[in-house]
Amino acid sequence: MSLSTPVWAATTPPSLRASRRENSGEIFFPSVPAESPLSHQFVDTQLAVEGQVYSFTIMHPSPKSGLPPFVLAYVDLPGPVRLFGRLIDSPARPVIGERCRVIADDTYGYLFQSLEARA
Amino acid sequence: MSQMHVMGGAMTVFGRHPGVMAPELAQRAILDAVADAGLQLADIQAVYCANVLGGMILGQVILRDLGLQGIPVYNIENACASGATAVHLAKHALLAQQYERVLVFGIEQLTALGGGTIPMQRNDRMTDLYATAGMVLPAVYAMRGTRFIHERGAKPADLAAVAVKNRHHGSLNPFAQQRSEVTLDEVMNSRMIADPLTLLQCCPSQVDGAAALVLGTQPGPHAKDVKVLGSIIVSGLREHGDDDILDAEITARAARLAYEQAGVAPTDLGVVELHDAFTIAELLYYEALGLAAPGDAVSLLHSGATALGGRVPVNPSGGLLAKGHPLGATGVAQMVELMWQLQGRAGDRQAGTPLLGLAQCTGGGIAGVDHAASAVHILGV
Repeated sequence: MSLSTPVWAATTPPSLRASRRENSGEIFFPSVPAESPLSHQFVDTQLAVEGQVYSFTIMHPSPKSGLPPFVLAYVDLPGPVRLFGRLIDSPARPVIGERCRVIADDTYGYLFQSLEARA
Repeated sequence: MSQMHVMGGAMTVFGRHPGVMAPELAQRAILDAVADAGLQLADIQAVYCANVLGGMILGQVILRDLGLQGIPVYNIENACASGATAVHLAKHALLAQQYERVLVFGIEQLTALGGGTIPMQRNDRMTDLYATAGMVLPAVYAMRGTRFIHERGAKPADLAAVAVKNRHHGSLNPFAQQRSEVTLDEVMNSRMIADPLTLLQCCPSQVDGAAALVLGTQPGPHAKDVKVLGSIIVSGLREHGDDDILDAEITARAARLAYEQAGVAPTDLGVVELHDAFTIAELLYYEALGLAAPGDAVSLLHSGATALGGRVPVNPSGGLLAKGHPLGATGVAQMVELMWQLQGRAGDRQAGTPLLGLAQCTGGGIAGVDHAASAVHILGV
């Protein structure tokens, strides 16, 4: 993992590491680091990993890059909390409301994997 | 005094200026603006320089050879709202009677970056995480576009129609970078960048330019005295997990405050320059600025009201889409355009005889905030 920000909690089954502001209940992801002067306002919490696509775009890198298109999405998880990341394995063009789950990834920390292909 | 006057202004052509360094580019706009105000450089008491990516103390670098006698120079960065922020700060000083005449200029040289989208800053954990996954501003706007099409029953062609309109306007503007008219098919069939946004729906990223205004406590030499009636800067709020990304909250908040300060309503406006970095933005800002009721943005566009010849022409300069978006210069250039429009000096793109104009800049990418800064200015004669 090259990312400076830890995104996974040490739980089974896997869950995302987040912070909950005690006075408002608001969920912060990624989690508030221990060195933050605000950290005393937060408690650790975990996020369930299944959610729905709120919106998405298919990015088309410059032809000069030689890179294939990829999908970026906002995904809403219970909390409520909205995450941004890469969406993979959609059976066709993604759709708003598509069910997906968050899975670990060495490069990005996590990916959104479509669950529609398994329906 | 209770008002700030636009005494004069000028801008360079926005476009590629290969081999031209910052002083030569910005000095052209500065000298033309001072002349337009009927003044000499020695009449200027302070300078505000807006820039995003040009490096430290750019204002002093640009001014060194102009002989400004060591007057105060303020360097200002607020992403896409930098230029408008500089105007706003100049207002503070003029209203506080610190100065009587100041120069505000913006400059950016994006061709020096080699093209492509502006990278996100990685000085925040959330932004770093999201930028690693691929967050760039075209993606953020594209996701708004996808959601807009989904919720509003709009079509991708509705977004593309914004580019047809603004690029037509730009074809009439000798200061615009891209002066070619385009058809709807050409916009739709241009290379896909971030679905649903095609290349011609994105402002050009290879552009240089500068713009300058002379602001003062007394009118300038022009028959029509342009006054700054409203000047608002706000910053973005932390987003919540269930926010509506079609609600351009930061812009709507800035606009509401600006209308209150100016004592005018959206229906009073005769011309608007807004931040159409991408086509979807113009549609969202119609509603945020109160030009259209919620849900009516596409209808307003297709009515022709926002085209030249319509009730309230939007982006008669061509907007960011055609004129170009040299970040630090944009907010100042929008107000130069409003000055020309309000004084009837806009040539082939003149939007009738407007009495009130609005300029809006909203920008700056931070994960977890819809935008970093929004500026709304209302100018009138």
